[in-house]
Amino acid sequence: MTGKAIWKGNLHFGVIDIPVKLHTAVKEEHIQFHLLHKKDHLKLKQQMICAHEKVPVPPEEQIRGFKQDDGRYVLVTPSELEEILPQESRVISVLEFVKTSQIDPRYITRSYYLEPDNPSRAYLTLAAALTDLDVEGICTWTMRKRPYLGAMQMSGKILRLNTLRYADEVIPVSSLDLPHMSISEKELHIASDLISHLTASFEPQKFENEHENKLRQLIDKKARGEKIVILRPRRLKPTSPSKLLQTLEASLKKVA
Amino acid sequence: MAQIAGRNLSLSNLEKVLYPSTGFTKAHVLEYYRLVSPYILPHLRGRALTLKRYPDGVAEEYFFEKRCPSHRPSWVATTEITRGNGEPMTVCLVNDLDTLMWVENLASLELHVPLARADTPENPDAVVFDLDPGNGAGILDCLRVALILRDLLAGLKLACFPKTSGMKGLHVLAPLNQKKTTFDDTKKFSKSVAQVLERNYPDLVTSKMAKEQRVKKVFINWSQNDSSKTMVCVYSLRAGERPTVSFPMTWKELEHLESNGNPDKIQVEQSEAVNRLKKSGDLFGEMLIMKQRLPYI
Amino acid sequence: MAMQSIWSGTISFSLVAIPVQLVRAVEPGRVSFRLLHTKDYSPLSRRMFCPREEKMVEPEDIIRGYEIGPDKYITVTDEELESVSPERSRTIEIVEFVDLKDIDSIYYDHPYYLVPSKGGEKAYQLLAEVMRRTNKAGLAKFVMGEREYLVAIKNIEGALSLITLHFSEEILPDDDILPGASPIETLETARMKKIIKEMTADFNPAEHANERRKSILTLLKKKAKKQPPVTPPDIEDDEEGPVDLVAALEASMRKVKKNR
Repeated sequence: MTGKAIWKGNLHFGVIDIPVKLHTAVKEEHIQFHLLHKKDHLKLKQQMICAHEKVPVPPEEQIRGFKQDDGRYVLVTPSELEEILPQESRVISVLEFVKTSQIDPRYITRSYYLEPDNPSRAYLTLAAALTDLDVEGICTWTMRKRPYLGAMQMSGKILRLNTLRYADEVIPVSSLDLPHMSISEKELHIASDLISHLTASFEPQKFENEHENKLRQLIDKKARGEKIVILRPRRLKPTSPSKLLQTLEASLKKVA
Repeated sequence: MAQIAGRNLSLSNLEKVLYPSTGFTKAHVLEYYRLVSPYILPHLRGRALTLKRYPDGVAEEYFFEKRCPSHRPSWVATTEITRGNGEPMTVCLVNDLDTLMWVENLASLELHVPLARADTPENPDAVVFDLDPGNGAGILDCLRVALILRDLLAGLKLACFPKTSGMKGLHVLAPLNQKKTTFDDTKKFSKSVAQVLERNYPDLVTSKMAKEQRVKKVFINWSQNDSSKTMVCVYSLRAGERPTVSFPMTWKELEHLESNGNPDKIQVEQSEAVNRLKKSGDLFGEMLIMKQRLPYI
Repeated sequence: MAMQSIWSGTISFSLVAIPVQLVRAVEPGRVSFRLLHTKDYSPLSRRMFCPREEKMVEPEDIIRGYEIGPDKYITVTDEELESVSPERSRTIEIVEFVDLKDIDSIYYDHPYYLVPSKGGEKAYQLLAEVMRRTNKAGLAKFVMGEREYLVAIKNIEGALSLITLHFSEEILPDDDILPGASPIETLETARMKKIIKEMTADFNPAEHANERRKSILTLLKKKAKKQPPVTPPDIEDDEEGPVDLVAALEASMRKVKKNR
């Protein structure tokens, strides 16, 4: 069961207008911890601290600034900020369509289901067209005073809207400064074979979150005053580069 | 119009009083710099100059000029540096007396240069400890910190040399003159030194810039060790009320002044500077020659 | 560029073990509206604060607690946390590989990069290259801090990216909002496809980022003229210098104090 619709909008491109309702598609629930001061177990508060003076800054001494390329900030008051941010509207503008495979998962932030608002033939037509062409619609919209960039896609029987992060928010691979090593075709070949043997179909329901339960048990144990046995985490011995080929061969033998 | 070594330099407004409290005129400024030129030029040579111009004297508006004025004579040496935003900029190099005179004719009372030469802008020749007294502290406190700093660095086999800033603080510099030293190195080093001094003398020293942290303490401004920062050149005039000079001290002299306890005896004015230079030569000469390595960097 | 490591351990598939570190793949972009201190325009950051002592608290003085009653907590240390699933807190074991295109994008949660630690560079590149050639991703579960994650490890431009996935029980079923099926006119579908084809282009995320930045800058130009932009003071981090240097300085300091 999805929850209530969190927002309503209109998918718009060309002369097409499709009213939709947004529903969150993911619900996460985890054990929440509070942060406490070690010495007296007092709950800590989060405060805005001045990076310079390391003292808390009350709201009346806070102002927002937009960082220019030269490192200076243009100060903006709350009312100026309102003027700058795009106006509230219900339009989800579809700017363009792109091949599904082109959107790399580093850009995806959240997923929403799009429920047709009122029985909508246009919705079904769009769904069919997207499926046939295997494309996604890149959209922009403003929701609750925040601007969003997203990708609208067809999945199964329903349209979805994935919010995307902007390109400058993704750290480029080049900044990792990875070294370039030489690898033999033989090693690549055996590794390929190995991976084929380890390939399965994507069935995510196979994977359960076992940790939550175990964590709850730990907390219960401590609440009862029981002693906790500290186990060292398992650490594997890294495969040395000179032994890589034989390790691959041994692995293949094991699974084949 | 002056003729120096076959070049024409037009000097103007020579009678203009630039230091009202003493009647020190532009002519006097030019004369001062002419007299100290043999000592100051080696410290200015090959460095991107930032002019600090007081066209109407020390009591009036001043402005920094990093870009070499376009109306310069053809014989003024210049070089191109890359600004923070990637754009090129032409800067003046004060390599000879004529250029020094031309710059002073523009009433650049103060001469500020980076710690690195213009041809190797990322490699400083020295590491600087800029001692800046906060509200409620004074130059005597700077002397105190300088002595502790000297002993601290001596423990790491590093020699250093102090000079007055000419205003309220003190500069302590350790010459390095190593091709490979970077500002990253000197910044890291000076920051660690500042933090260790702060930990051990928390009531006297701070390594933090925030004004509230500096009250009654000496702030060691380690962030001056940066390619974008400049320091006032040794022997430069300062635009204070009186024509004081950024002047070097011997350690003996510094110890004496510190124990003497009279802050008024510390500043050196231009006439005293000229006399002392004539008598003892460039006290800061080691800065140009001595080679030292930063340990543990 | 040295990146701050979030987690370090080993990834494995079959008998091959690769030492790695987990680093960020996401950073605040160039459109940043930051909160600044009106006094000196220094950027503000969130820190933990003790309300009783009215002081900022350093990470080493912080412990996590689970609330079992009003102001009653059970504290849990990092070692105790690692003990819960010790086989998965320092090891990411890839149990199977799947075709990339089979991973429904609804599962993607948060991206990270893996970088090889010393000695693991060759095996790391091998894994990345094989996954590139075969268009596959490796699936694994591991525990980091308080949570267990299902992850997909895939190749992106020669690097290994680790993307956390949602567990299937976290995906809400959509059956109650599915549109009812109704016959679709082929003419309408054909017209829709024509419009879509005309609007099809290559995905260029940089373009959208630049557009957004440009439009905000244009709106801010007026403000910048009215009130000149401000310069924050140099940001200093309290990071300690190189260990050896600090030790040598402290040793020298002790001698100095003795002689004074």
